[in-house]
Amino acid sequence: MTRGSTPRIGLIGCGAVTEMLYVPALRAHRLLGHVILVDPDVRRAEALARLCGIRRWSTDHREIICEVDAAIVAVPTYLHASISLDFLRQGVHVLCEKPLAETAPAARAMIAESTSSGAILAANYTRRLYASYRKIKDLLSEGRFGRPLSIRFVIGDDFKWPTVSGFYFNARLSSRGVLLDRGSHKFDLIAWWLGAKPILVSCETDSFGGPEAVAQVKWAYDGCEGDVKLSVLGRLPGRFQVECEAGTIEGEIYEFRRLVVTPHRERPTILRLPSVEAVYADFGNRLVGNFIAAVAGDQAVFVSGRDVIDSIEFTDECYSAAKRFTMPWYDVVEDVRGS
Amino acid sequence: MDPRPTILVTGATGFIGGWIVETLHLTGRARPRAGIRTWTRAARLGRFPVDIAPCDVLDREQIEAAMQDAPIVVHCAIGSRDVIVEGTRNMLAVAESMGVKRFVHLSTTEVYGEVSGDVDESCPYRWTGQEYNASKIEAEQVVWEYAKKGVPVTVLRPPIVYGPFGKDFTLRIAHRLESGQWGVFEGIGGGMCNLIYVTDVVAAVMLAAEDDAAVGEAFNINGPEAITWNEYFERFNEALGLPPQRTIGVNHLRLRAIVMEAARAGAKSILTRFERPIKALYKQSSLVRSRAVQFEKSVISTPRLAELNLYNRQARYRDAKARTLLGYRPRVDIDTGLELSVRWIRHLGIEAFM
Repeated sequence: MTRGSTPRIGLIGCGAVTEMLYVPALRAHRLLGHVILVDPDVRRAEALARLCGIRRWSTDHREIICEVDAAIVAVPTYLHASISLDFLRQGVHVLCEKPLAETAPAARAMIAESTSSGAILAANYTRRLYASYRKIKDLLSEGRFGRPLSIRFVIGDDFKWPTVSGFYFNARLSSRGVLLDRGSHKFDLIAWWLGAKPILVSCETDSFGGPEAVAQVKWAYDGCEGDVKLSVLGRLPGRFQVECEAGTIEGEIYEFRRLVVTPHRERPTILRLPSVEAVYADFGNRLVGNFIAAVAGDQAVFVSGRDVIDSIEFTDECYSAAKRFTMPWYDVVEDVRGS
Repeated sequence: MDPRPTILVTGATGFIGGWIVETLHLTGRARPRAGIRTWTRAARLGRFPVDIAPCDVLDREQIEAAMQDAPIVVHCAIGSRDVIVEGTRNMLAVAESMGVKRFVHLSTTEVYGEVSGDVDESCPYRWTGQEYNASKIEAEQVVWEYAKKGVPVTVLRPPIVYGPFGKDFTLRIAHRLESGQWGVFEGIGGGMCNLIYVTDVVAAVMLAAEDDAAVGEAFNINGPEAITWNEYFERFNEALGLPPQRTIGVNHLRLRAIVMEAARAGAKSILTRFERPIKALYKQSSLVRSRAVQFEKSVISTPRLAELNLYNRQARYRDAKARTLLGYRPRVDIDTGLELSVRWIRHLGIEAFM
């Protein structure tokens, strides 16, 4: 690809995130005409290609490696590493969906390949683009409220993502669930804000061998402690709180333009933050625009693979240490056996 | 080779279907195959390394694939009238063609309609005008049609099923009690609350699937205690550790129900017509979100008119036939069932009430 020319892009995976985020973003950047769609389900690839006016599609990403300059990898998480590596080895730039990889060794292999081939490895960790979370990073870096003492996240809902493949819940494909999927953003934000990987204190999940649906993680780092509760089995507040030596910063997880700041002995103040994004899909536009500019050599990527390795390592540690919640309602099952 | 039979459970992402799959897996009694319509609701099921098969009961091809090598079928899927009636017909047609050894159909005591007194399996169907009642009656009629063709069917009729993962009679009741807008209903809540803890339903399903005496029969199943709805609210309230509920008079309650019924219909109509702008506003404005949550809480904490009839119904569903023919014995008393339910609710977190 020469400087100034339009990159040819492989869009790998025709699931929900491709339809909802990447196709609109590529359309907004007038790049759909340069896209090759890939999905192992030919009917899905063909249908989406026709819907979007894309002329070329394939069922195997390996067939198109030589035809593209960049690839957007939006496949089930357990395939992120293997497919991204196939592109990176050939010098094709990659923007990979979050979480970057299922495990830290897989993520490290991706980063190493990117380094050796010189191909960009960008990661879609949209939360780092939120005005609210960026503001917290600034406040903590500047020490405006002193050192952080605790950071808490609580988020839960009845899973509503219109997953096509069902990989989130299919124990045959992966035994990692809400910790990996929803936790990736939270752990990444915590590590980003702290500037370091937190130290795991405890991790509990409700897994019986398949992907967990509820998880609670406690951690500590340099005088700061925190916990993260995640659930896809019911609605939880969807809030976070950063308590510092001289005040508290609070917000709603998805409210990217608003924070509530309460300095000690003062009333809460609502911070309304400027943001060019109005809805979630707008972040896709910015992310894809940044990736394309990085491919052209005009910008650095917002979030690289290397940026998120701390959170992926932390997630691995959570899984290694995870214990099952006490769930006495399953003890009654023994009675059923005896009936 | 694993000698245990494979049991296909439809509606496996639901409350009872999920418990059947989990119990089969945890006890090792059989190999469950979880039949699901959509992956979106499979978070609970996914925690167990069980065989999950697409099984939309309106899709014959999916049913045929899911029923392969499964000699036992437990049919729990519910939904619209089409899902309940035509879905049951599809399941039975495939079961007949594949020669399944046992087909257990989860029905409901709602097929008896608005009755009072002791109700056993000899009581006739009664139509109430509610779609659920009519659909479940029609589905049972389809079951008996296939029984005549030789499909070895059993029908189970549980009443009010509660327990962890239960929404209608567990989460929603807890949310109502927590709202402070619920209470003891003077003149209405004295009807019989035929409570059965969910694992007792699962135990009955196992017996029906294994005992030859179950073939061609319908069975009521019920819990071990007979209490009123008001007693249920009071005991649940106590288990949640809440202050005593107030007493609400029947006229006040009916008025609230009528007003909220209209508000529900209005909100539904507005949401249908303006879904996209409302969703966009909801995402962008915390004020809209908090107002929506307030409205939702008011809606949930007000009983529907049909519920008032249920809370006043003086019927006790007798399960003597299941006890005699199948040896069915409910094991979980209400205090234990409520304690486990509350532990589960606390585990999920308070907002999960919504």
